[in-house]
Amino acid sequence: MTKRLLQGNEAVLLGAVKAGASYFAGYPISPSSEVLMAASVHAASHPEFRFLQAEDEIASANAIIGASLAGAKSFTATSGPGFSLMQEAVGYAHKVGVPTVFVDVQRVGPATGMPTMPGQGDILQTRYGSSGDYTSIVFYPSTVAECYEYTIRAFNCAEESRSPVVLLTDAFLGHLNEVVDLDSIDVPIVERTLEPLASGHTRLFSGVATYPDGEPATADADEFIRQYEEATALRLAVAERYSFYEHGWNTDSDTLVIAFGITRRIAQPLAPHFALFRPIRIWPVLQDQLREIAPRYKKIVVIEGSDGQYASVVERVLYRDVYRVPLLGGRMSLEAVREGLDRIGLLPRELAETAV
Amino acid sequence: MSYKDKIKSDLFPTIWCPGCGIGLIMTQLAMVMDDLGLDKTNTVMVTGIGCTGRMGAYMQFDSVYTLHGRTLPVAEAIATVRPELNVIVVSGDGDLSSIGGNHLLHAIRRNPRITVLCNNNEIYGLTGGQTGPTTPVGTKTVSSPAGATYSPVNLQGLVNTNANAFYAKTTVYHQGPMRRAIKEAIEWPGFAFVDITSQCIENNGRRIGFPSANEMLNYYKKEYRTAPPGATQLANHQLGIVKGHAAEPAVPAGAGAAKGSGEA
Repeated sequence: MTKRLLQGNEAVLLGAVKAGASYFAGYPISPSSEVLMAASVHAASHPEFRFLQAEDEIASANAIIGASLAGAKSFTATSGPGFSLMQEAVGYAHKVGVPTVFVDVQRVGPATGMPTMPGQGDILQTRYGSSGDYTSIVFYPSTVAECYEYTIRAFNCAEESRSPVVLLTDAFLGHLNEVVDLDSIDVPIVERTLEPLASGHTRLFSGVATYPDGEPATADADEFIRQYEEATALRLAVAERYSFYEHGWNTDSDTLVIAFGITRRIAQPLAPHFALFRPIRIWPVLQDQLREIAPRYKKIVVIEGSDGQYASVVERVLYRDVYRVPLLGGRMSLEAVREGLDRIGLLPRELAETAV
Repeated sequence: MSYKDKIKSDLFPTIWCPGCGIGLIMTQLAMVMDDLGLDKTNTVMVTGIGCTGRMGAYMQFDSVYTLHGRTLPVAEAIATVRPELNVIVVSGDGDLSSIGGNHLLHAIRRNPRITVLCNNNEIYGLTGGQTGPTTPVGTKTVSSPAGATYSPVNLQGLVNTNANAFYAKTTVYHQGPMRRAIKEAIEWPGFAFVDITSQCIENNGRRIGFPSANEMLNYYKKEYRTAPPGATQLANHQLGIVKGHAAEPAVPAGAGAAKGSGEA
């Protein structure tokens, strides 16, 4: 047992290394740059680990795809604006079936926004950011130890699902330092599933719709649907094995708080008053779990660092209205949670009285 | 073995238009691959979007058909992870130097061991003949009815910003020089760029006055001249190879850092 003080972004790098990653490409962007810097430091003393500080996020995203096809477990780390630039490549990795990992340390957007302030506004970007239809698998840890653990799971899941898996964190979590014992986190590693390039085949890894022999299938709906359904079935089946969530706090309450990532930590003082549902697998949405748990509660409150992105998903899944506590402009604090609950008349008296 | 074993001829006819120059590049590339012993265990093709990007589907190699403009980061990462492989990029002038221009600039700077064959037809052919970054000033296209306004990108000048890089100019008419250029490019220990002028009769040539592809090839024959031996700079319409200092490519971080050890 070795306890150490570790930052969320550094935990991501250590998790990636533990998972067997041997290629990182990235472009500096707050608040994710510590992942890139830690990767460069790691590369300096580990010849088998390759590092590229690329010219931009577009190159980074395409480089990790090339590296994965060549045989390396690969990843990048970025934040909202950079992740936007990567979206076309995310779609390519879905189409071609490339296992790789994108880490998105969220800040406040849109555009350059508030580069050092935490946000959770990329929930929908991680699901719908690229064009067309595809099945995203996205995890969002809440602690530094979980940053390590779910980075490993993200790599495992990428291999199994043959798809780009996203690990969401945020400026708060990425820069949070916590004492962790990494030795106590034991996640079995999934080995590579994709035979590397130049193994003696003549495969075509194509972003263009093609038949298995490489001929264009750009006007064949039946072939498109066949390939799409095959990919969707694989990814949903794999995601099923990664249905991580937390249901707890005061389950006798008539109100269910839904919070994820750092927001779940911020909301911790609500524990005596409300029940909690914390999705760790953000996508595919934990539909079955939500439908099983939600009917036990009269009221549902979604507390999140965006103006209702996840709340709208919950409403769609449950066919019922939920209360919303959006934490905007980087104000991700207990004070902001209190204000938000007060606005909708759900602030417990005890919490109002202890308010600073 | 024969060069024909490098090509999936069972997929012929190709989707390229009659008179297109891309097939001439593919044939010469296949011949060089045969000469050099390139096969599906030691070579990877990386192609971009545009007519040229289809070439990977017709060759007997693992091939990555990338997004538009993104051949170079994909190719560079492959070369980094698997330095023993021959990584051959085949794409068009628009893919490489317009939408992929930033990657071209930085791939030249980083000097990875990859070979780039640029099918330079001076037009966006696949999308119907719009002005490209290489279209000569004054050329009338479907997106420049009064003639192209801006000077074409200087590919040779760009490549030569790295003193270690390799630049060759040829046309598809000049089969011998094209073959030599491709061969030397593949053997080059760093970034090698072969700029191959090629005809697009359907979506460019006919609009600028050539009745057929044959006339375009004859035009290349008439206009292009071999550069004098030892030329360090190719003039307009000169064929030749300009080689920098054959330095070993810079080792990517992590690949050869002999110093240091221990935990991250």
